[in-house]
Amino acid sequence: MKSYLSLIPIQAKVHRKQSRMTRICIFLAVFLVTVIFGMADMEIQSQRIAAIMDGGNWHVAFRDLTEEDAELIGARVEVRESTWYGMLDTDSPASIEGIRAVICGLEESGLDMFPSLQLVEGAFPSGKDQVIATENLKERLGYEIGDQIILQLSEGEEIELQVTGFAEGTAMTDREDRIGLVFDMDGFRTYFSGREDTDSVYYVQLSPFCNMQKAIDDICGQFHLKEDQALQYGKLMGLTGQSEDSNMQQLYIAAAVLAVLLIVAGVLMISSSLNSSMSQRTEFFGMLRCLGATRKQVIRFVKREALRWCAAAIPAGLLSGSLAILILVRFLKWISPAYFESMPDFGISVIGLVSGCLVGIVTVLLSSRAPARKASRVSPLQAVSGNASAEMPVKKAANTRFFKVETAMGIHHAKASRKNLILMSGSFALSIVLFLAFSTTLDFMHHAIVPMRPYTPDLYIQSADGTCAIPKDLAGQIVEMDGVKRVFGRSFANHLTARIDGQERDICLVSYEEHQFGWAREMLNEGEADEAEAGNGLLAAYQGENTLELGKSVSFGEGKTYPVTGILSDSPFTVEEGTLLLICSETVFEEITGENGYTILDIQLERGTSDEEVSAIRRLSDDSFLFSDQRAGNESARGAYYAMCLCVYGFLAVIMLITVFHIVNSISMSTTARMKQYGAMRAIGMSVRQTIRMIAAEAFVYGALGILAGCILGIPLNNLLFRLLITVNWGEEWSWPVGAMAVILLVVAASVFLSVLEPAQRIRTLSVVNTINAE
Amino acid sequence: MEILKVENLCKTYGKGETEVQALRNVSFSMEKGEFASVVGESGSGKSTLLNLIGGLDTPTSGKVYLSGEDLFSMKENRRTVFRRQNIGFVFQSFHLISELNVEQNIVFPLLLDYRKPEQDRVEEILEVLGLKDRRNHLPGQLSGGQQQRVAIGRALITRPMLVLADEPTGNLDSRNSQDVMELLLKASRHYQQTVLMITHNVNLTTFSDRVLKVSDGVLKDLGGVKA
Repeated sequence: MKSYLSLIPIQAKVHRKQSRMTRICIFLAVFLVTVIFGMADMEIQSQRIAAIMDGGNWHVAFRDLTEEDAELIGARVEVRESTWYGMLDTDSPASIEGIRAVICGLEESGLDMFPSLQLVEGAFPSGKDQVIATENLKERLGYEIGDQIILQLSEGEEIELQVTGFAEGTAMTDREDRIGLVFDMDGFRTYFSGREDTDSVYYVQLSPFCNMQKAIDDICGQFHLKEDQALQYGKLMGLTGQSEDSNMQQLYIAAAVLAVLLIVAGVLMISSSLNSSMSQRTEFFGMLRCLGATRKQVIRFVKREALRWCAAAIPAGLLSGSLAILILVRFLKWISPAYFESMPDFGISVIGLVSGCLVGIVTVLLSSRAPARKASRVSPLQAVSGNASAEMPVKKAANTRFFKVETAMGIHHAKASRKNLILMSGSFALSIVLFLAFSTTLDFMHHAIVPMRPYTPDLYIQSADGTCAIPKDLAGQIVEMDGVKRVFGRSFANHLTARIDGQERDICLVSYEEHQFGWAREMLNEGEADEAEAGNGLLAAYQGENTLELGKSVSFGEGKTYPVTGILSDSPFTVEEGTLLLICSETVFEEITGENGYTILDIQLERGTSDEEVSAIRRLSDDSFLFSDQRAGNESARGAYYAMCLCVYGFLAVIMLITVFHIVNSISMSTTARMKQYGAMRAIGMSVRQTIRMIAAEAFVYGALGILAGCILGIPLNNLLFRLLITVNWGEEWSWPVGAMAVILLVVAASVFLSVLEPAQRIRTLSVVNTINAE
Repeated sequence: MEILKVENLCKTYGKGETEVQALRNVSFSMEKGEFASVVGESGSGKSTLLNLIGGLDTPTSGKVYLSGEDLFSMKENRRTVFRRQNIGFVFQSFHLISELNVEQNIVFPLLLDYRKPEQDRVEEILEVLGLKDRRNHLPGQLSGGQQQRVAIGRALITRPMLVLADEPTGNLDSRNSQDVMELLLKASRHYQQTVLMITHNVNLTTFSDRVLKVSDGVLKDLGGVKA
C-alpha cells in the first residue's frame, strides 16, 4: 500500500454489497442522461432530415435579388450551396389533362438542396421545353420519359413540354392531388418571368460551422436588403441551434432547464445513496479519525471511493443507454414508420455518450461532497464508543392499542423525524401531482391532434364542388380492395334553414353511417346516439354558448321535425359563426335534402398498405373528384404525439425513479440506525417476519401520506387543467382519472415493496448475538 | 423437575488457523426454580454458552433441551416463538425499546404473540418492580436501575421456564445491583423461575444456588454456594 487511499480497492472488495446501491444510482443517472440526450439527439437529427426532405436544405431565402448580388452572395465563405428557385403561385390555373399541377424552376446544382425533387429516373432538363415531373404523372396518366405533355395555364395558354425525368413527389403534391413539374431555371424564366403570379427566390445553405444569424445580418447589411427580403427556414435553423426565433429560444431554454433538472435529480439520487452508504460505515470513518486521519483526508477518501465506483458504473450506463436508444428507435419506427423514418437505425449518439459520461463524473463529484463532509465530521470518540449512530430522542410512546406491535412501531418510526416524513411524503406527493397534471396535457394533445382520432382517414375522395356527387356504390367497391380496412361516407348540406324555438336558423347538416355513429357514441356529452342512428333524431355538436339543448325540436318543414337526442363533445367539422352543426342518419338526410350521394368518402387503410394499392384505389375514383392522400400528414402528427408522450412519460419516469430511490435509501438508512434495536427485539422474540413488517409499516406510512397529499393537491389540479384545456374547447366534462390513479397506486406500492427488500435481507441475515453485543 | 439440559455443546468460530473453540463439550442440567451463576474470565465462553442456551446462536454440535424440547431441532421461526414464550432475557445494556413506555416494554413479549396481557399480572409485576408510578414513562426518562427493573419485568411477564441474565448488574451501581439481584432471587424463589446468570462479580454468586465456571470453553460445576 502506497498511501491510505490504497485502502479503497481493498474496502471495495470487502464491502461490495454495501456500495451496490450507490453504483446502481450512478449507473442509472448515466443511463438516463445517455438515453434522454441520445434520444433528443436522434430526434433532432431525424427532424433535421425530415425538415430537409419537406422544405429543402437551406437556411435563408432572399427575394428581389439581382443576379449580380446573388452571385456575390453565393461566393461568400459562409455559403455552402445556393440556387435560384422559381415558383408559380399554387392558386394560378395550371393543369395537365384536367389534373392540377404545381410549377417550379430550379438550377441543376440546386437539386441537392431539395431532396424531395431528387430524380428517381431520367435526367435533369437541359432545355427550356423540358421538365421533370412527379411520379404521379406516370401513375395517373401513363406518361414515360421522353413523352410530350401539354401544360395548360390560364385560358387558352398551353405549353408543350418533354418529360426528361421523374421525381418522388412531396407530401403537398400527395395531399393536394397535384402533379409537380420542375423546369430548369432558364426554362422557368422563359415562360414565367415577369408574371405577377410568379416568385423567384435565391436559396442559400450556410455552413454549420458559422454563426448563421450573424452571416444573414451581414449579407442583409452589405446588400441593403430589407427584413422581409430574407426569409429564414426557422425550423431547420432551430434544429441546428442557430435560431433567434422566440419560440425556438424558449425551446432551448426549456431543454437547458430539463438538462439541469436531470443533473440535479441525478445528484440528489446519488447523494441520497451515498449518505445511506456512509451512515453504515460511521465507525470506520471514526476509526480513521481516531488513528490520525484529518478531515480533509477522510473527505478525499470518500470522493476517491465514489469516483472509483464510476469506473464500472459509467461504462455500464453508457452501454445500456446506447442499447436502450436502439430499442426505443426501433419501437418508434414501428409505431410511426413515416414520421420516424429518418431516425438512424443503428445510430450512436456522441452527444448522448459524452453527456452521460460528463454527468456521471460531475454528479458523483457534486453528490459526494455532503456525505464526505458528514463522514469527516464523525467524532472518533463516538465511533469508538459505539454511539456513532445516535438514536433520535423519543417524545411519545407508540400506540399499541389499535395496531399490532410491529405495525405500531413502524408507524412510530415514520413519524419520528418530521423533516424526513415531510420530505418522503412530499416526494411521493410531488410525483403524483406532476403525473396527474401531465396526464391532462396528454389528454389535450389527444383531443387536439386530429390524426389521433379513430375516424381519421388515410385517404379521402371529395366532390370538387362540395355537392353530393359521389355515388354510394363507390364505397362498396373500394371496401373490397386490397389494403382497405374501412370506408365510410358523409353527405353535407350547407345553408339549410330549420326552425328551432320558432326561429329560423342556419344549419349545416351532415349524414353519418354506422361506423361514424359508433365513434360518436364515445364522444357523447349528453343523451345517446341510437335514436339518431335509427332515423328518429339528430345529434348536435358542442358549439360553446350556441350548443343546442337536449330534446330541442328542429323542423326542416312539414313532416320533417326531429328532436336533438344527443350532444357530442366534438366533431371533425368546422362551420361558420352562427351556423348550427347537426348530424343525422343517411335516410333522414335523403328525406330532408333529397340527395342520396356522398360529399366525402373516407378510407382507412390496413397497416403496411403499399403505394400501388393506393394507386389502384385512386383509379376507381373519378378524375373529377379530389383524391387526397393524408398518410404523410397523419404520420407526422401521430409521430409528434408519440414523441411528446415519450418526452412527458420519460420525464415522469425520471421523477418517479428519484422518488423510488429516495424511499429506498431512506428506509435503508432508518434500518441501519435501528439495527441494534432490531437485534434486541429479535433476541426477545420478535420474528424475522414481524421485524420486516415493522419496516414495511414505516415505508407504507410514507407511501400512504404521499398518496393522500398527492391526491388532495393533484386531483383538483387535474380537474382545473381539464376544465381549462378540454371542457372549454370540447365541452367534455371532467371525470375521475381512474386510470392515472391506478398507475399511481401501483407505482407507490412497488416503491414501498422495493424499499423493504434490502432491509428485509439484512434482517434475515442479521446476527442477533453480534448485534446486541456490539458496544 | 429438570428444566434445562445441555448435552455436549460445542461452538467453534472460524476455520483453519483462525479457528477458535469457544465451547468444548459443555454438559450440565438445571432444575426448576434453581438459580445458577456462570463465572469465568473474559473470552472464556460464558456469553457464548448463554446465547446458545437462549437460541440466539446455533451450536457447532450438541443439544439444548428446554423442558424436554430440543431447541435446535426447531426451525428458526419456531425457535424464535419458543424463545419469547419460554425464555426471558436480561441484558447488561437493558435493550429496552425506546419508543415503548414501561408498561409496553414489560408486556412486549405478549404483544409479539398478539396476546392481550392479563392486567392483574401486569399490575403485580409493576408492584414488585416498584414501577407503578412510572408505567407511562419512556426508557429515556428512567434511571439505569429502573431500566434494568423494566428489563426484568419483561423477562418475567410470560412466566418463562428459564431466565437468562447476561451481566445484569454490569452497568449499575452497587445499590441498584443489590436491588436487581434481589429481584432475580425473588423470581427464582417466589415464582419458581429457573435463573442462569453470567457475572464477573464473584460477590454476586452468593445469591445463587450453584456456580458454574467456564474456562477456555470448558464448563466446570463448582457446586453449591456456601452460606
